[in-house]
Amino acid sequence: MINSILLALIVLIPFLGSLIIGFFYAFYQDRIKEGAYSFIGIGSVLTSAVLSIMVALEFFQNENLTSMSYVAFEWLHISSFVINVGFFADHLSVVMISFVTVIGTLIHIYAAGYMNKDEGYGKFFAYFNLFMGSMLLLVLGDNPIMLFIGWEGVGLCSYLLISYYHKDTLNVKAGNKAFILNRIGDFGFLIGMLLLFIYGGAGGFTFGALETNVSTVPSAMLTAIALLLFVGAMGKSAQIPLYVWLPDAMAGPTPVSALIHAATMVTAGVYMVARFAFVYNLTPDVGLFIAYIGAFSALFAALIASHQSDIKKILAYSTMSQLGYMFIAAGLGLYSGAIFHVFTHAFFKALLFMGAGVLIVAVHHKQDIFDIRMHRALLPITFVTMLIATLAISGVPPFAGFFSKDAIMAHAFASGHYGIWLISTITALLTAYYMFRLFFTVFFGAREKELHKINSSMQLPLIILAIGAALTGLLNLPHFLGGENQFSNWISTPDKALHLSISAEWVLTTLNVILSGIGIFFAWKHFGRNPQPSNAQSSINNLLLNKFYVDEVYDTIFVKNIRRLSYFFSTIIDVRVISEIIKQSSSGYFRLGVITGRMQNGNVRFYALYMVAGIIGMSIYLLEFL
Amino acid sequence: MLIEFIFIALSLITLISALGMISFHQPINSVLSFIVTLLSIAGLFALLSSSFIFIVQVIIYAGAIMSLILFVIMFLNIKEKNIPNEPKKALWISGSLIAISPFTLLLVNALKTLPQKEATIINGFGSIEAIGRELFSKWVLPFEMISILLLIALLGAIVLAKKEQNR
Amino acid sequence: MIFVTDYMILAVLLFSIGIVGVVSRRNIIVLYMSIELMLNAINLIFVALSRQFEQLDTQIAALMVIAIAAAEAAIFLAVIVLLFRNRRSLDANVFTLLGQREQPKNDK
Repeated sequence: MINSILLALIVLIPFLGSLIIGFFYAFYQDRIKEGAYSFIGIGSVLTSAVLSIMVALEFFQNENLTSMSYVAFEWLHISSFVINVGFFADHLSVVMISFVTVIGTLIHIYAAGYMNKDEGYGKFFAYFNLFMGSMLLLVLGDNPIMLFIGWEGVGLCSYLLISYYHKDTLNVKAGNKAFILNRIGDFGFLIGMLLLFIYGGAGGFTFGALETNVSTVPSAMLTAIALLLFVGAMGKSAQIPLYVWLPDAMAGPTPVSALIHAATMVTAGVYMVARFAFVYNLTPDVGLFIAYIGAFSALFAALIASHQSDIKKILAYSTMSQLGYMFIAAGLGLYSGAIFHVFTHAFFKALLFMGAGVLIVAVHHKQDIFDIRMHRALLPITFVTMLIATLAISGVPPFAGFFSKDAIMAHAFASGHYGIWLISTITALLTAYYMFRLFFTVFFGAREKELHKINSSMQLPLIILAIGAALTGLLNLPHFLGGENQFSNWISTPDKALHLSISAEWVLTTLNVILSGIGIFFAWKHFGRNPQPSNAQSSINNLLLNKFYVDEVYDTIFVKNIRRLSYFFSTIIDVRVISEIIKQSSSGYFRLGVITGRMQNGNVRFYALYMVAGIIGMSIYLLEFL
Repeated sequence: MLIEFIFIALSLITLISALGMISFHQPINSVLSFIVTLLSIAGLFALLSSSFIFIVQVIIYAGAIMSLILFVIMFLNIKEKNIPNEPKKALWISGSLIAISPFTLLLVNALKTLPQKEATIINGFGSIEAIGRELFSKWVLPFEMISILLLIALLGAIVLAKKEQNR
Repeated sequence: MIFVTDYMILAVLLFSIGIVGVVSRRNIIVLYMSIELMLNAINLIFVALSRQFEQLDTQIAALMVIAIAAAEAAIFLAVIVLLFRNRRSLDANVFTLLGQREQPKNDK
């Protein structure tokens, strides 16, 4: 029986690590050996990983244990509103922290090699640890406010890490973009949280209390709350319309993209929806809206990814696309399916990013897939692991992605919303197509290529993750294939149970496999021998190449107008109106002083006149004429 | 009957000469008019049975102080250009007279609250003997201080009016 | 039937005339004499009060006032002599040395 204080430690240790690294970096900067920084950085996350596994095992072994909570101290106490710094773990959180910490450790190890000899090495690990701490706080918080603190924390670290190479202002702008769009989402989230508090927080504001009291909230308000909370997820998890920061965020170092923008931060939105399942189950309309947003984001991103040339941007759009799948599942009530896809996606997406990082370093920091072109024999480990990951993401059995995507699409079909099912199916085809376009372009080129040496610390995590990508699918074998849905059952989220006949499931699954095969075939046909980048020949190509001009549209509608408004304020209102007011009032006082000064003209008779005037006034008053 | 007649005459003289004092352009005329005012006020003192004050007013005020002023005026050798010309004098005086009327009215109202008493002549009320008794018993200290004050004023006047010593 | 209060009313009128004189005239000699007129009016009130209440205290106060007026006359006239010597004018508006100097315009 382990102490629930471990929950607090899991969150605290990365924060402590960040603090220590940051402290030393502030004073010694690059004079300390890099190994010291990475030791503390990896060590703290590894400790959290070990503790998370321990907690998970505790949940495994003890079947009656459904949740564990630990309250560190009381934070806010305003009459009846009490917020504790408390941690809460049930099966859902335990799954999240397990893979977040394990994958996080692997990526930390990878980053130690990748960021070798980079300026500000210590700063990187400090931010990285800070991120891990915030993510764990987000997952383990026992009330929405703790979740929000973690939410903001990961947004902050995302900004800090994207702008890591801050000497180039483009990177800083990308970081700003990420933070600002996150903020817009957070605004919606905050309003939703406030409404939830006002209408449903009478009995306490922890997740457990809210779950029991959620029926007291009027349904119109509940719809609003659900919608607003999802606005936050739109920003954090890069769905339409707040997704535009994700491709730009690839300006950060590759480990950052791997950890934050593939495996963890972007999935915080999905986790949040699953955590608030008690709200979303009562508002199926909002759920449908979420599913449609997810579907459209998935398709949209897949279309754009088919024409991108930058390897990291392709992977970024693919993340957005897969997140769309997760939201389809969450929106239609299959929370466990969403989390399962989060779980498998973390493995293969992190793997893909790390592999991409290896490739980028190998060709001396070029990121265009048509420049990276090499032969698979030059980097065998990377080749095999990325092959496994690409097969997984394309939904090829028996790799993990197949099972998770298939579960989602079957649920979509069973829910009766065939439009969503159709979109997800088309997207699956496109996914296979563009992922293998990437794969074939990169690995089927010329044999003779001069490569940079790759650190072994960068290759080992690839192998571990590949094993995960390959095997984790088996955790959730659906019934019709002979499994028992162990993952979904264990995670015990309040899913909407839908049933399909076994024959229907077989048909759908076969259809998915065929479509993946078609996608791979087309990719091979166009890019196997002589890959060419897309050019702007037809207008459709142009549209897709320019990412549907969304950034430009946002710029014209929002950015330019806000700039104009602030220019107006700063030059006209501030200078001409406000400064003038202040100047006039201060000079007005001065002028008043000059005028009253004229009363002192030294003429004694003048003073006598004043006195007499005063006397007359007083006597008039005393005579009661006034 | 006689007393009322004298009172009315004296008060008219006082008022007219006071008005004249403030109206004349030449300072000599103002001074002479003022002397008339002082003398009629002395007469009023006498009507109030204060014989000593009457004598003091005539001798000291109308006599010594006014002589001093006349002396200084003649000593200064005032030419026409030294006297300020006041273009709107009549306007100012009449306007101020009207403006000061509330104040006057206020004081008159305050005075009306005193008990009405007939102003008959009392023998021996303000005589030298009575005043002397009061002055040297109850008011001896202020009396002595006044003499010191006069000494100081004398010295001050001398110091002020001395011609500048040429170095 | 003359009441003692009639004397006081006369004195008040004289006092107001004195005030008018101080305010309206620019000649410093007339100014001085208006002040003396005011003092005399006060004296009249004092004496009338002593007659009203049949006590001699206020009469002695009137005596003091006359003595003080004498002292004041000495000083006043000495000052007039000085001022005339200096500026050769009897205009009260000329003597404004204690007044506000013209400030330079401050346009910040």
